[in-house]
Amino acid sequence: MKKIFIIIVIALLPVELLLAHHVLGRPAYSLNEDSNTPPSMQVETQIGNYFINYMVYPAFPKPNEPGRINLYASRLDNDAPFTGEVTFTVRDDSWFNQDEEPLGKQPVDDNVFRQGFVFAKDGNYVITASFKAEGEPYIIEFPLRIGNPAPIGPLGIAFGLIALILVTVSVIQRKRLGRLKVRQAQQDINV
Amino acid sequence: MTDDELFALVNDGSICIINGERTMVHPGLPYVWGGVVGFVMLLASLWMLRTSVKNSKNSPRFNLISLPVLGNLIRYITTRAWVLTSIKSISVILFLMVIVAGLFGTPIAERNLATMLTWNVWWAGLILAVFFLGTTWCSICPWDAIATWLVRRRLWLRAEPNNSFNLRVPKQLRTIWPALLLFTGLTWLELGAGVTTNPYATALLALIMVVLATLSLSLFERKAFCQYFCPIGRTVGFYAQLAPVELRPIDNDVCLNCTSLECFHGTDLIEPCPTHLVMGTLKQSTYCTSCGNCSQSCPEQNVAWRLRSPSTEAIQESRPHWDEAWFMLGLMALTLFHGVTMMPFWSSWISNFGQIINDSGQMLWTFSIGLIISLLMPIFLYAMMVWLTKYLTRTTLSFRRVFTQMAFVAIPLAFAYHLAHNLNHLLRESIGTWAVLQNPLGNNMLPLSLSEQYFRHMQLQPHQDILFAVQAGLMVFGFIIAIKVIHARGQYLFNSSVKFSAWKLMPVLLFAVGMTSLHLFLLMQPMTMRM
Repeated sequence: MKKIFIIIVIALLPVELLLAHHVLGRPAYSLNEDSNTPPSMQVETQIGNYFINYMVYPAFPKPNEPGRINLYASRLDNDAPFTGEVTFTVRDDSWFNQDEEPLGKQPVDDNVFRQGFVFAKDGNYVITASFKAEGEPYIIEFPLRIGNPAPIGPLGIAFGLIALILVTVSVIQRKRLGRLKVRQAQQDINV
Repeated sequence: MTDDELFALVNDGSICIINGERTMVHPGLPYVWGGVVGFVMLLASLWMLRTSVKNSKNSPRFNLISLPVLGNLIRYITTRAWVLTSIKSISVILFLMVIVAGLFGTPIAERNLATMLTWNVWWAGLILAVFFLGTTWCSICPWDAIATWLVRRRLWLRAEPNNSFNLRVPKQLRTIWPALLLFTGLTWLELGAGVTTNPYATALLALIMVVLATLSLSLFERKAFCQYFCPIGRTVGFYAQLAPVELRPIDNDVCLNCTSLECFHGTDLIEPCPTHLVMGTLKQSTYCTSCGNCSQSCPEQNVAWRLRSPSTEAIQESRPHWDEAWFMLGLMALTLFHGVTMMPFWSSWISNFGQIINDSGQMLWTFSIGLIISLLMPIFLYAMMVWLTKYLTRTTLSFRRVFTQMAFVAIPLAFAYHLAHNLNHLLRESIGTWAVLQNPLGNNMLPLSLSEQYFRHMQLQPHQDILFAVQAGLMVFGFIIAIKVIHARGQYLFNSSVKFSAWKLMPVLLFAVGMTSLHLFLLMQPMTMRM
């Protein structure tokens, strides 16, 4: 029975992924000078029939510091707000990691979906907000940086690549020059 | 900022509402300037149609080294390798600071050195630098300097050749198609993926440039990356055809009698020309990287910087090639595209088109389709006009020959608009760079408030009216050179085969008028600011 269930899930999975809209918006940071609130991170995007606006308070959350996501979704054609439920999950934004943890399921409150969060460690995370409207699944992903994670990855890759290029060329050239010297010496002996 | 102040700014045109959000915009060129440019365009077009061109083989030049005091200084600077290396070192230090700030600094673009220095100062100012100094940027290019120091393992003077494979670039790659592809990719990253507002991505791009330059230098002889692949180098190179300076022989007879060709081969101490140029036959600055190897290696000290008319090279001296023609037209199309994406109507276009093709998120598919259409449309239009010109002149020359020869018209059109557009960016968006240099990582900095943005972008020096006058002047400059290019190259192409009449060049002239009008229209619109 369990096997049949897994097969059905796997068979349905591509259909689900195909229908889902995958979103990764561009963050912008803004300061509201009319109030004393800290700066916020804001991303606007559109997905299917909806215009999405999500804001993160504060813009630069630190570990063990409470933060909040406000998500607004309204129809592109008539601005009608989405009134269903939105599920928020989170995953570590490291390569090949797909393990998601639930953050919460939020009902609409004054046209806004509010999701609180507290992270224990520095890192780059991806928040996923998902909802269903008119029978179609909507998935929105956006990055969230907590604290100051060390960006060793790109530096390591760049240094690694440069070192690999330099060492490879150097080794091959040394071998080539060595062979040339031997050949030259042999020719000199023969002469 | 109070509601009244905000309302005043909306009325003033400094703020507009895009997708329900308040967005700062730079005011466009006033209509009166648009009218002046239009009138000059009309006069210039009539002049072209009614006069014949006198091809002057030797347009006047002035050797800068003949200047008192300054001439000696220029000679000293261009013949001492350590001087250039010192300037290069400063450029490398700034470049490394960009990488560090991008990776470790604040993600707020306007507070981070990576984005401020790269996009608001360097990228905007680079085109302006070409206008005055030609290809001199290439001589202090930091990614090439780092790659050269790593591979050649010498700060200056000739290095051991065995640190590289020194392969010849495969024949298929000995074109600038790779540079056009990379330039299109760079535009996609800049405007589509939003690298300009992302310090982290800016740092990654800088690292990629270093890796690519190192790889190319390790594999290929001389500077293949600069010659064939670098999108920045090729852009600078083509625009440098319109620069008022050039590096050339002082006395052509000295070069004619030279058999050792130190400028090409180098000497025991000085590297050879990185792009395989021979000074005695040099007519086109496109591939010169201003590295100074020729002026340092010439035993006769026969190489020097000269002043010249900015139109000389594009009008008659540059020799056209098929790939170069495509690069020039691509450059013009992508420059236009840059302008279009900064118009307030762009985001609603993208949104509407995105809905039609069911795109979402960053709208990268929508953007990519828009980019491809924008790249191909002007080239297609140009091809149509070339075909029409061919039909009118009843020439037996091939379409390819006419297409290639007349493509030089794209350079002044693109350069003038690029300069006018970038001048706006540079004067308005580079304000605040000094503060960012004092805190390059932007530690503990907050995003700019709307009032800070307003004062940063609208209180520019010199006065805004001067900026408008210069922008209008640049459009006139570009159009007049474009007309001279059409006239001179048209006469060169068709004069011998048919009874030449400038009216038969009307299609290409219409193309130049159309492109300039489009550029002018874009300049007259309010422009959304980058950060």
